[in-house]
This record gives sequence, structure tokens and C-alpha cells, in this order.
Amino acid sequence: MIAVGSTDTTLLAAIAATKLPFVAFAVILLLTRRRPRLSAGLSLTAIAVSLASAGFLLVKHWGIARPIEYAALWLAGGDVSVRVGILIDPLSLIMLAVVAAICLLVQVYSLGYMAGDPGFSRYYAFMSLFAWAMTNLTLAPTLLQLYIFWELVGLASYLLIGFWYEKFSASEAGKKAFVMTRCGDVAFFLGLLLILVHLGNLDIRELNGAAAGRLSPTVVTAGALLIFGGIIGKSAQFPLLTWLPDAMEGPTPVSALLHSATMVAAGVYLFARLFPFFSLSPTALGVCLAVGTVSMLIASTMAMVSRDIKQVWAYSTISQLGLMIMGLAAGNYVAGVFHLTTHAAFKALLFLCSGVFIHAFHSNDMVVIGRQGGRRLRVPMACLVIAAAALSGIPPFSGYFSKERILGALADLPNPLWVAAGLLGAFLTTYYTFRLIFIILFPAPGGEDTAQSHGSEHGHHGGYAVMAWPLVILAAVSVALGFGEKAVAQFLLNPFGSVTPAAAHHAWLPYAALGLSAAAMLLAWFEFGRRGAGQIGFVERVAPLHALFGERWYIDRAYRWLLDQVVYRLFSRLCARNDQKIIDGAVDGLGRVIAAGGGRMSILHTGMVQYRLIVVFVSIALMAIYFFI
Amino acid sequence: MTAWALFVPELSLFGAALLFLALALVRTIRPRVVFLAALAAAALAIVLGLASLSAEGMLFGQSYRIDLFSQVFKVLLTLGLFLVTCICGDVSGVDRRRHAEFYLLLFTCTLAMMLLSSAVHLLSIYVALELSSYSLYVLVSLRRTHELAVAAALKFFIVGIVSSAVMLFGLALLYGGTGAVYLDELARALPPAVDQPLVQVGLLLTLCGFFFKLAVFPFHIWAPDTYQSAAHQVTAYIATASKIGAIAILMRMANVSGGSPYLVQVLVGLAVLSMTVGNLAAIAQKDLKRLFAYSSIAQAGYVLIGILSLTPEGYAASIFYSLALLVMKFLCFLVLVVVAADGADIDVAHLAGLHRRSPLLAMALMMSVFSLAGIPPTIGFTGKFLIFNAAIERGLLPLVLIAMANVVVSLYYYLMVVRAAYLIEPAAELPKLQVSPVMKLLTGALVAVMVLCGIYPTLILDLSSAAAAALVK
Repeated sequence: MIAVGSTDTTLLAAIAATKLPFVAFAVILLLTRRRPRLSAGLSLTAIAVSLASAGFLLVKHWGIARPIEYAALWLAGGDVSVRVGILIDPLSLIMLAVVAAICLLVQVYSLGYMAGDPGFSRYYAFMSLFAWAMTNLTLAPTLLQLYIFWELVGLASYLLIGFWYEKFSASEAGKKAFVMTRCGDVAFFLGLLLILVHLGNLDIRELNGAAAGRLSPTVVTAGALLIFGGIIGKSAQFPLLTWLPDAMEGPTPVSALLHSATMVAAGVYLFARLFPFFSLSPTALGVCLAVGTVSMLIASTMAMVSRDIKQVWAYSTISQLGLMIMGLAAGNYVAGVFHLTTHAAFKALLFLCSGVFIHAFHSNDMVVIGRQGGRRLRVPMACLVIAAAALSGIPPFSGYFSKERILGALADLPNPLWVAAGLLGAFLTTYYTFRLIFIILFPAPGGEDTAQSHGSEHGHHGGYAVMAWPLVILAAVSVALGFGEKAVAQFLLNPFGSVTPAAAHHAWLPYAALGLSAAAMLLAWFEFGRRGAGQIGFVERVAPLHALFGERWYIDRAYRWLLDQVVYRLFSRLCARNDQKIIDGAVDGLGRVIAAGGGRMSILHTGMVQYRLIVVFVSIALMAIYFFI
Repeated sequence: MTAWALFVPELSLFGAALLFLALALVRTIRPRVVFLAALAAAALAIVLGLASLSAEGMLFGQSYRIDLFSQVFKVLLTLGLFLVTCICGDVSGVDRRRHAEFYLLLFTCTLAMMLLSSAVHLLSIYVALELSSYSLYVLVSLRRTHELAVAAALKFFIVGIVSSAVMLFGLALLYGGTGAVYLDELARALPPAVDQPLVQVGLLLTLCGFFFKLAVFPFHIWAPDTYQSAAHQVTAYIATASKIGAIAILMRMANVSGGSPYLVQVLVGLAVLSMTVGNLAAIAQKDLKRLFAYSSIAQAGYVLIGILSLTPEGYAASIFYSLALLVMKFLCFLVLVVVAADGADIDVAHLAGLHRRSPLLAMALMMSVFSLAGIPPTIGFTGKFLIFNAAIERGLLPLVLIAMANVVVSLYYYLMVVRAAYLIEPAAELPKLQVSPVMKLLTGALVAVMVLCGIYPTLILDLSSAAAAALVK
């Protein structure tokens, strides 16, 4: 299928990085299901080799200017051809390294978190499946291959979110995640077909190169918008954003994996992947910018009122993904991708720290965790604060550098509305982040009485050390990554030849952003941190606003209503009524008649079949009459 | 004499049918023996079908064409027959004394389908279609201890003869309008007659007979009851092999139609209605076989999209999808037959805990259902991709949009099945399912086919394209 040169270490490393997790998945599922330790070992080895290969590739090809592609023909017919293979360029290399690293750390962490779970082997099998799908998505050279693994990522996440299937809410959440992302995928698939028909192939490089220029602007805009539909679904952007908070029902490491660097980031990755293509259509970029902004802002508001620690990070993920899309849509490729990278580290860290608290205190409620002495877990607490600082964009943590770039890109836009929205988002982000930190760090007095019920005895049972290491590593990365900004930017821009002209300098911007963050932190301190604070946010004082944010802007309600009233009640009932009233009626009637010993031909007397046949005849007649119209 | 050699696969089935007729007269024969004989006969038919894959020629006074198109479908049909026979090891739904008759009808029906895929004379098409239908009417009524089976069979029969009557009327109109009875004559006579009402309506009415077989809206009304009331194996046969025969002849007729825009528009309408009605009604179903019935109606809509493209690519995609349907639906029914080993009907909810009772079957069910829903990297995804691609090339983007929306709707009830198998725990702990090693092997092989053909479709697709080329030649 692919010509393998014996000395081609690049190809070998790429194959190792992308195929081994699948081997682990198959072996675990088929052979080692009854031996949890072995299963975990297999899975960890596979992903560790993946990470090593990814690291090797990154080092070997640091500074490549021309993408390397290995591909074979998969399907050809008429004037259409589709290929499969591996595409190596700066973007895919960085993403591969990030994905493999996060997968490995989460799997190590899970050794402690999932210890003793009856489905331990199954968990690692799914984890490997997920890692396989995600790494292959990253290196896909054509949109079709990307789409296939995109769906597999969705499938693996469905299995992981619904992992605790005895929890009804978990399996429902898995289903919701799957169906909602599928809605976006339909648009993606249509976009794919549209491009295939007009371009004749789905090569990402052609699409980003001169070939796309041959397409008419309408096709480019339509294609870009349809593909963006897929991004909306996968990255949980407005209006398909409500599945993500529900998906928190899965095990916390799963949330960390899915919602930091991998599954939801795949949407943003796709955007970055097709960035030159999207750039051809200003209309599409405008829509992306608007969707990103709306998602970022409303998700931030939702995070301001939630008391569930994981939900807060879930909303925060939506909002940060929105920010990345804003950065990309504002035309700054590096800003979006760099924020994707830094966000992967600190968001995984946030989830994993929260996982330690949840594991220790058996509660997702930040107030309960605070009262039971969350701050006594020093390592996770310190890491949580570091990650929170990175999320809030406070120097010298990595989030500061990447956010600054995005805000800079927004400030370059002629309309000041966007940068204002970005700054407002930064303010809200800092506020909800430090609200959480202060509630855990400085619990309101008087609540300590419930502390002894759990805390100590469940505190540090087995696996705590295993869980702490990934935290420390991620924290170090969150601190250090920001300083690699220049190198990463240079690396990413290599294939584009000349470095894009430096953005106009906005001297006021860092001060404005930092000032707003400081203000938000002070507000959070005043409301939640200071001694004797009421721990009631300003939003909670305004009942309608609180309800609006708490109910997720009623988006879920609207969907539910639509589903119940329109789809289920109207259509399904209508179709099923045919079935029950008419067909079943006929059959039941018949059954009775036969049971009573009536002749078989009495079907002719039940009347219902004739009625159905009349419908058939009317349909035929209508079809025939249609000819004359 | 050499011409008869082309007819060997059909003759082998005819011989097998005669054998079962003889066995039916022997009262003392053991069901197991009959089963093994049937298995051997079906396997032999596949081998003969494969051996004559490249055969070409005309038989019976130019009324029977043997080309790659017909031979590919014959292989698919015998494959379907073989697979269905594989799950007939314990036909608990049918009286033991009637097993030989059961196979007699099964083989006769397959024979009729094979004739149908080669028939190029209007009357031989009609006779072959009737032969297959009559076998099925009786097969449906064979179910033991199911008081509704006879009722369902009768209803199936009534809808069937009505469609036949409509079809005969259509054939008469066609003949009256063009004076042609051979398909190649029709292929010459039809294109100039795109605006003659007599001919076009005749063509439409003729197609109605095939729509009935394929359970396309509005001829689908027999499907839910028949699926539910027939023995599981018979339902499996109706859902797989009998659909393939209908697809073959529908494609042949569509190909001679000369691409009249009227016909295409009607077919578009029927495809949309079939998909929509099938998928929406399936959501409300509880009985598993009824659910599959509606799912079949929806799948028939997807197949129509490929056919109505009226291009070689569209035909190739539909042929590819026929194989996909055969494998996917058969796997669903295999699981059903094992889970409901006593031959009783089961609800979706009865699948609860399947992943504990038999991990392999649960996996097979999940894969086939995902394949039906068109999730990559399964054969169902690749098939849908090919079909939609062909339709878009033909400029039918709105139709593909509707189809894609339907694919999402279908995901809802397919996921209900997966959820029942994987995520719901049964009220009481159920014993592990006994699955024989042979069945396990078959299941594993079919799952492998489903995934491999999804990932690497080239082999099958090349064959389909060649068959489609033979059709349009």
C-alpha cells in the first residue's frame, strides 16, 4: 500500500506513532481482558512509544519547510480519486506530540484514578482506541481520512463518556454527545462531498494550495461553512454546545483527555489544518469569528454560576475553544494554534487536579470540597492555582502569551467590537476561575462540621503518587511553554515561506488585558476570598440572570422541546399511528376472526387492508398524474 | 449443448429444490440431515456461481441474458441463501415436519430471484417475480404457534397480488406503447418516447412490482407485519436475499428507461418518502423485527438514490451497497436468531445485558448497526459515500441533503439498539448464550468483511463497476 523504504525512519516512526495504539486496543479486547494490569501495561507501552516517535519526528523535522507526504490510492472512479496516507508538516507534528503526551499522562494518571474499577481493562482498551483514532486524525493527508478518524474519535468518546454505563445519566450523556456531534458531522460530510465533486480529490495540501483557487468563490464559501458545521459540533460551539457539560458524566481522566487537547480540540485543529482554504472566503471567516465570539461569551457566563467543579472547566473549554476560533478567524494562524497547544496543557491539568479532589472527597461541588479541606491536598492545590493562572492569562504562565497573541490579532481587525469582546471574555474567565479557586481555598466558616464525614479516610488511598506525577509535569509545562512562543511561531510559519508581517503593535493591549484580569480577580476576592465574604457572586444576586446562565441560556430546553414536540410527537407518532391503528387494527381483527374459527378469507371483510390499498392506489395515481403537470 | 452450461448455477438450485421435495415426502427424515443437505446445496450453489462469474451468453430465445451484472447478483443471492441457511440449524419457528418444505421454498425463491436477475423479456421477468413472491407468501405462513403468521401472510399476499396486477397493467401499457417485449428493444424504443404518457406511465406501473419487493413507500405496508410474523430465518431471508433480487431487476429496468426526467423525479420522491417514513416510524418501534422492517424501508430509499442517478457510478455504488446490506442486515438477524433461540419475538429491551451474555454477538450487533447508520470505517459508510457521491455528481444535492438528515435521524434508533445491548442491565441475570464455534467463526468473518470492505473497498468496487459497465453496455 505504501512504499516502505528500509531506511525511511520518518515513515517508520509515523507508523509506530499511529498504529500501535490500535494493536493495544485489539490485543486488550481480544486477549487480556481478564488481566487488568497487563492491559494497562500494553496500553501505556503503546502510547509511550507513540509519544517517543512523535518526539523523534518533531526533533528530526524541526524547521521543515516542505511537508512530507506518504500516500496510496484508496478509491478511484470517474474523475474522483481519494487517497490515504500520512502527512507530516509543522502543524501535524505539534498536534501529534500534544495528543500523544496528553494521552500518556492521562493514562498514567488513570492507573491511580481507575484502580479497582471492574472495567479497568475495558477502560484501557477504549483509551487505546481513542489514542489511535486521534493520532491518525492528526496525520491525515486527506479530508476523507480525517473524517473517518473524526468519526472514530466520536465513537471512542461515546464509549468513554458512557463508560460507567450503570449510571443512567452517563449513558444518556454519551448518547447526547454522539448525536449532537453527528449533527455537525453531517454538515462536514456534505462539505466534503461538495469539495470532492468540484475539485476531484480531497487532498489537504491541494485544498490549501493553488488548486482551491480554481474553485468558484461560492463553492469555497459553501464548503468552508459546511466544514465549519463539523467544527461547531466537535468543538461544542454555539449552537451545538450543550453536549459538552453533560459529557462530564464520564470518569474525570476521560474529561481531561477529551476536553483538553484531543476530541474537542480536533475541531479547532481542522480549522487550522484548512486555514489557507478558509482564508479564501471572508464570509466564512466572518461567520467563524461570530460563532467563536458568541460561544466564548455565553460559555463564560454559564461557568460563572455553576458549582460543579468539572462543569466549570467544561464551560471554560467551550469558551477557550471559541477564543481559538476567534484567533484563527481573525487571520492569525499562529495565535490559534499556539493557544491550542498551551490550552491543552493547562486544561488537562485543571481537569486532572479536579479529579484528585473528586476522588478524595467524593463530590463535584466546589463548596463541599472547600469545606472538607480541599486546600490540604497541597500538590493538586498548587497545580490547580498554576493552571488557573495560566487560564486567566496571567504572566509568566503560558496562557498569557497565547492569549496575548489572540487579543493582538483581534485588535488588528478594523472593528473594535471583536477585541472588546475578547477583553470581556478575559475578564469573565478570570472571574469564574478565581471564584472557584477562592471557594476551595478559603471555605466559608461554619461548614467544617461535614468535613470529617469523608475527607481523611478516603483521602490518600492507593495511587495518589501515580496521580500526582502527571500533575507536576503538566504544571511545569504550563509554566515553561510560554517562553517557547517565538520558536513555535517560527516553526509553524515555515511552510508559508515568508514570515507574515509583524502585527501592528498595540502597546495598550497587555495593560488593558492585565488590568481587567486584576479587576476580575479583585472582584472574585471581594465576593469569595476575603474573610467574611458572603460567597455569593454578583450574578447570583440577580435572579433572572442566574436562572438564564444556570439553565444554559435555555438552549437545552429548546432542543428538548423541539425533539419532544416536533420530532417525536408529531412525526413518529404520525408514522406509528398508521402502523398501530390501521395495520395492527387489521391484524388484530383478523387474529380474532381466525381464533373464532372464521374462514381465512374473512380478511376481505375487515376493511382495513382495502383502506391501505386505496392509499397505495392514490399514490400511484398521483405519480401518474404528475406526468401531466 | 454448451449454452446449457451457462445455466448450471440455476440448475443446481432447481435440483436441490427437487431433492427437498422428495425429502418432504419422507416422513422419517431427521431435521438435522435436511439442514446439512441444504447447507451443502447452498455452498455448492455459491461455488457454481463463482465459477460462472465471467460467463456470458443468451439463452431461451434471447429472453435470458447472462452477463457479469447478472452473475454478480447471482453470487450475492447464493451467498445470501447460504448465510440464511447457516442460521437455520434450529428453525424453532417452523414445525419439524415441515423443514424439508421450508428449504424447498427457500431454494425455489432463490432460484426465482436468480432468474429475475437474468431475465430480459417482459414476461419472463413477470413469471420470475411471481415465482419468488409465491414462495415467500407460503414461507411467511409456515410459522408455527403464531396465530398472526397466516394473517400477515395473507396481507402480504393481497398487497403482493395488487402490485402484480398493477405491474401487469404497466407491462401491457409498455407493450402497447412500444410494441417491444425484449429489454434491448425497449432500450431503443424508450428514449424517443420520453413525452408519451402511455409509455411513461406504463414504465412507472411496471416498476411498482419491484417497489413492492423492495418495500419502497407506498408499497411498504406489508413489511412491518410480515417481518414480525414470519419465522426469524424467513425474515432474515426477506430482508437480505429477496431485496437483492429486487435491486437487480430494478436496476435493469431503470437502465432501459432512457433517463426520462419524469421517472427520475418520481424516483426521487419515492426515495425521500421511503427514507423519511422508514426512519421516523422506526423510532417509535419496540419490537426488534419491526424496527428492522422500518430500517429496511429506509435503506431501500438509499439504494434508490444510487439507482436513480442512472449513471454507471450510481449503479456500481448500488451494487456495492447491495453487498453491504446483505452483510449488515444478516448480522443483525444472526444476533436476533441466537438471542431469541426459542423462536419467539423479542423487543429491543430484551437485548439488555447482551454484552455480558455474549460479547462477540454484542460487538457484531453494534458493528452492523453502526454500519447501517453509516459510521466509518464500515462498509455501510463506504457504500453511502459512493451512493451520495454519485448522486451529487448527477447534481442531486438537495436529495443528498435530505438523505444525510435521514442518516442522523436513523442514528437515534440504531443507538437505542446499541444502548440496549451494552448499557442497560437486565432486570434478572440471564444465562450466557450458547454460541457454537462455527457461528462464532461466521460472525467474526462477517464483521471482518464489514470492516475490511469498508477500509479497502477497491476489490469489490472494481467488480461492481465492471458489473455496472456490463449492464449499461
